[in-house]
Amino acid sequence: MIITSIYRIFIFAWQSFWRNIWLSVVTITIIILTFISVNFLIVVNITSDAAINIIKNKVDVSVYFKPDVADPQVNEVKTYLSSLTQIKEINYISQQDALENFRQKHRDDPDIIASLEELKTNPIGATLQIKAKNIEDYPDIMAVLDNSKYNDLILDKNFDDHKIYIDKIQSLSANIKKVGFIISGIFFLIALLIVFNTIRVAIYTHRQEIGVMKLVGASNWFIRAPFLVEAVFYGIIACLVSIAVIYPILNLIQPYLNNFFLTDEFNVTKYFNQNFWQIFGFEVLIIILLNIISSSIAIRRYLRV
Amino acid sequence: MIIFKNVCKFYPPNVTAAKNINLHIKPKEFVSIVGRSGTGKTTMVKVLIAEEPVTSGRIIIGGWDITNIRPGEIPVLRRQIGVVFQDFKLLAKKTIFENIAFALEVCGTDRNKIKEIVPQVLKIVSLTGKEDRYPIQLSGGEQQRVAIARALVHRPKILLADEPTGNLDSFNTQEIMELLLKINEFGTTVVLVTHNREAVNSINKRVITLDNGTVVSDQKVGKYLI
Repeated sequence: MIITSIYRIFIFAWQSFWRNIWLSVVTITIIILTFISVNFLIVVNITSDAAINIIKNKVDVSVYFKPDVADPQVNEVKTYLSSLTQIKEINYISQQDALENFRQKHRDDPDIIASLEELKTNPIGATLQIKAKNIEDYPDIMAVLDNSKYNDLILDKNFDDHKIYIDKIQSLSANIKKVGFIISGIFFLIALLIVFNTIRVAIYTHRQEIGVMKLVGASNWFIRAPFLVEAVFYGIIACLVSIAVIYPILNLIQPYLNNFFLTDEFNVTKYFNQNFWQIFGFEVLIIILLNIISSSIAIRRYLRV
Repeated sequence: MIIFKNVCKFYPPNVTAAKNINLHIKPKEFVSIVGRSGTGKTTMVKVLIAEEPVTSGRIIIGGWDITNIRPGEIPVLRRQIGVVFQDFKLLAKKTIFENIAFALEVCGTDRNKIKEIVPQVLKIVSLTGKEDRYPIQLSGGEQQRVAIARALVHRPKILLADEPTGNLDSFNTQEIMELLLKINEFGTTVVLVTHNREAVNSINKRVITLDNGTVVSDQKVGKYLI
């Protein structure tokens, strides 16, 4: 009996959905816009995070040693630095490799290559490329080196500070998120009001059936449930349509993201695929919950059982 | 079967729909409640199906005190009381079969049982063969018979008919009265609320007359007095 009733509740909800089809379409459209605006926020979020990570990975400090500093001394500095907790990775470039890199870099400049040939000894010292765990740690690492006994061995330190770019990205992303939140909030509010109104109209359209249901002894939950189920339908259908709309958009923007980052490591479609249930599952649950709340208020207000 | 104990019903600011009504309707009885418009007849129907609460007094149906019935119990009560109204309350987009089946569907009856019950009640109201028609394709009398069939699907112990002949001509009125008597003969208590003098006078059953919310007459085999 309960299964039969549940089945009929779904049938009645479906019939109601079709009876006011244009109203249903408008309701679903607004919910779709809500979904898209929320997912736009997610795309902004993951893109800015990816941009920041890519830039962070490019930041390092190169410590150039004087040419007369021997390998054991360089290794000693490397060991000393490795003991620092802020250090993520140290890449050692020997004098020979450093010279080779220099040659490669200036292979099209015959004057430089000729000058190198003139010299009997290697004029380029060994190099340590240091990566910190956090971008904020670089100044500390530099200070440690400056104040250490090894400072005299060092010819130069090169720290290409990308912090300014990271700050800019973070600030831009925060602003976009702020606007996105406001847009999403507005769509959420409109969606709630539209669902409320749709259910109100559905109740009005079904007033005769509701009257008969009450007369013949249908239970209160049986009278109310189809309207709640109808609201759930809106959420599910809107989510499915949103997925069908969002994926082509993601595929469309992916080449632009690749060009922007100069790498195809970051794939927004892949991110959505990997987190499909977390993203859409959570979104549809929230929308369904809000629809249920909204339609419950409409039912409580307009459906006297 | 139905007991009214000092039932009063007032509507704000100062309308008296029922005042100290005491009644006892026995099982399988056929009772007509008559009176002019606005004397409280429909109020009695409304309080009987718990559509409205009484202001004071008690109403007992089949040993069940429904005076302070909880909302969740109202559907249970309504499955025990079949109700028909003057305006039939049929669903225009549903066929006769569907209209009757709807009353069972919304109460969770399974499909096979519906297919078994609906033809039975259609036979009782003599509408076999018209199950695929729509209400608009039937006469007023036939529509009222559909409404009665719908009221009977739950095999109620009480049938409450509120002005069932109000929209019908004398021929159809006679048919509906005969049908109500037939249902009463099957053992259902029938409470007929009407101001149709001829209909009441033709059946020689108990008549309760209301005036200004009070019972002014209660005759075992009565006539329409006012």
